[in-house]
Amino acid sequence: MIVVPCPNCGPRNSGDLRNCGELVPRPDPSTASLVEWREYLYMRKNPADWVTETWYCRGGCRRYFTIERNTATNEIRGQEAS
Amino acid sequence: MSIRKEHGNVSETTFNSPVDIGPLSAPDGSVTVADAASTTKVQIRGGADTGAAAELGVGYGRSQRRADGALVCGTRPDEWTIYAGAGQASAITAALSEVFGHFQGEPGEGFVTVIDITHGRAMLRISGSNATAALNKICNLDLSDELTPDGAVFSASVGNVGCDLVRDDEGGQTSFLIGCERSFGKFLFIAVADACTEFGLSVPHGWELHGH
Repeated sequence: MIVVPCPNCGPRNSGDLRNCGELVPRPDPSTASLVEWREYLYMRKNPADWVTETWYCRGGCRRYFTIERNTATNEIRGQEAS
Repeated sequence: MSIRKEHGNVSETTFNSPVDIGPLSAPDGSVTVADAASTTKVQIRGGADTGAAAELGVGYGRSQRRADGALVCGTRPDEWTIYAGAGQASAITAALSEVFGHFQGEPGEGFVTVIDITHGRAMLRISGSNATAALNKICNLDLSDELTPDGAVFSASVGNVGCDLVRDDEGGQTSFLIGCERSFGKFLFIAVADACTEFGLSVPHGWELHGH
């Protein structure tokens, strides 16, 4: 079990939330190439290190927020409402 | 703020609860589970910094009982639910539209919606000295007095059903209002009643969780 701190609801079991994956900047749709869109949609770095992730509090406030999580230790720091 | 004063309520002709048995109670009265699906439920959505939010008077995670008996709950950020006695939806939505109309056009006011969700949601009330202990068996949150005092509003899983809960003590006795999607209503009632059997509550034949 991972305890994830929601900015609105406080500490929550990760089962109450949904991990939406690494936070990836969205390219400008009017100028992005197909390669850039593909990388935005499908390519993730997935390091065994600190990653900025988006989570969705589906069991509580139903808001999105971002945290930094160490994928090797599940240590969490820095939370921010999206 | 833009308010469209239309009445799109589901007609309040006949309300059929998904739970068709009366309250279940332990012989010593330590826990009671009662259907409360007919409770009027009106959902309001709007900005937290608007005049409408100030009028409602409660923030996320808290509730307040109005003088007319209605319970105003801060269900989520930018979302409130008003619980009241059966058959009051039209009166409440009309009154809110009237009040919120005064903020129309003021800077910073956004779009506010007022919707009667009575028919879409099931609800039950569990109360008594063992109510917290029974709920703790099937709820994923800590329901201690420190974290969920009287008036607390929160969402949690109860029997693996996503629910909105309100700690709404009655006469000094611990009590929770639990609401969920209507289609899960009967299962939720059965799951909560099953959790109470440890405290002496008898479940009628046909309403057992495990069918025995």
